[in-house]
Amino acid sequence: MKLVSESLSLDDYDEAVELFFERGWTDGLPVVLPTRRRVEAMIAHAGRDPQESLGAIPPKGGEATIEKLAINAVMGGCRPEHFPVVLAAMEAMMDPAHNLNGVSQTTHMCVSLIIVNGPIARELGFNSRDGVFGNGYRSNAAVGRAARLALWNLGGAVPWDTDKSTLSHPGEYAFCIAEEEEDNPWPPLHVERGCPPGSNAVTVFACEGPHSVFCYGTPEEMLHVLADSMCALGNNNMHVMGQTLVTLNPINAEEFAKRGWSKQDVRHYLWEHARRRLSDVRACGVVHEQFRKMERDAGRYPLRYDLDNPTTRLPVTPTPEDIHIVVAGGRSYFAAVLPGWGGFGGFAVTRQIRRPGR
Amino acid sequence: MEILVPVWPARSSDRPAKQRLRELHGARIALVDDNLDIPFTTRLAALLTERHGAKVDRLVKPSGTAPSPRDLIDLAATAQAAIVGIGL
Repeated sequence: MKLVSESLSLDDYDEAVELFFERGWTDGLPVVLPTRRRVEAMIAHAGRDPQESLGAIPPKGGEATIEKLAINAVMGGCRPEHFPVVLAAMEAMMDPAHNLNGVSQTTHMCVSLIIVNGPIARELGFNSRDGVFGNGYRSNAAVGRAARLALWNLGGAVPWDTDKSTLSHPGEYAFCIAEEEEDNPWPPLHVERGCPPGSNAVTVFACEGPHSVFCYGTPEEMLHVLADSMCALGNNNMHVMGQTLVTLNPINAEEFAKRGWSKQDVRHYLWEHARRRLSDVRACGVVHEQFRKMERDAGRYPLRYDLDNPTTRLPVTPTPEDIHIVVAGGRSYFAAVLPGWGGFGGFAVTRQIRRPGR
Repeated sequence: MEILVPVWPARSSDRPAKQRLRELHGARIALVDDNLDIPFTTRLAALLTERHGAKVDRLVKPSGTAPSPRDLIDLAATAQAAIVGIGL
């Protein structure tokens, strides 16, 4: 296999691991060493031309060739069968609708979450149940970290240089979940977003870390607490809208479905009720007001809201469809809200996973 | 063992750096307004022209959080210096 990357000849394992730190090629954790054999196996499994490029990764514009992505996927701990998932995630992140350039450099703390759907999630052991945003599962960790390392090494998004996130969050190391599709009464996320049932896909959405929502009871009780959690004044959505993500656990979804609520019903209810009075939002100060004006001038703010009337109740997103809902986690009392970056970008993008020979 | 490097080799700049301005008076400055803090960029443009005698071309980006369009970058490159900022 003809590869074009520079190579180093090293005999000592410890020395090789340390070299990645010295050269700034890793995110603060040790990596799996990208030997030629491992990288070639990754590329061979994907069945793609090593020099095919998915495009230039912002902000610094390194080409996302299959070869370079394979090197970073090995470093992140991927096995060859994970690589098509990484490639789909990278394609989704590099869609202009996601505005990866902004997501990578903003002072906000959003990070692109990767959500895996389809039979591949169970097949490769992605976690969609207890502790779904946490540790313990190789597929979630390795695919999540492979994408982050690609942004690090090819995009140049590093915190002492172009990544200006004020606080960031631990998802900078790896931020990948699977949706629970078996213990779920509703159509999965990727099918809602246009993929055929039974297909494999990833959706990326730039968001904050999960905010816990103590969510248990009747549909109306659950919606009451979810709506309140979604429209906190500290999140960007409340000022410049954009998109937001709600993660319901399987018991939540089951309870809604038993009482006849579809996912769309839940979404519409949340959109109607996750609102704050304009006077509350204005009390946050002039900077917030200025951002709202900027979004309105750019045509990203729904003009039908009367922004001169302090009793106007502002929704958290421009439309109900900007509220994404996934089912994941253990069968318990907690849901989560993951606010987005606002109207500036990071919007959800879905890509099907291309698996060789299938 | 043979280890493959995960980054591309560092690139040299496509074009030589411009000479640093000696003075602002009479200089044509491209002010790339990121469309985020209009009062700030308005004040900056006023200071450059009224206090320092510069000629300011104010180029407004469509979005403060996405890269400038190519034609805006090319236009800014025709000035003697450009002021570019980002932050959100």
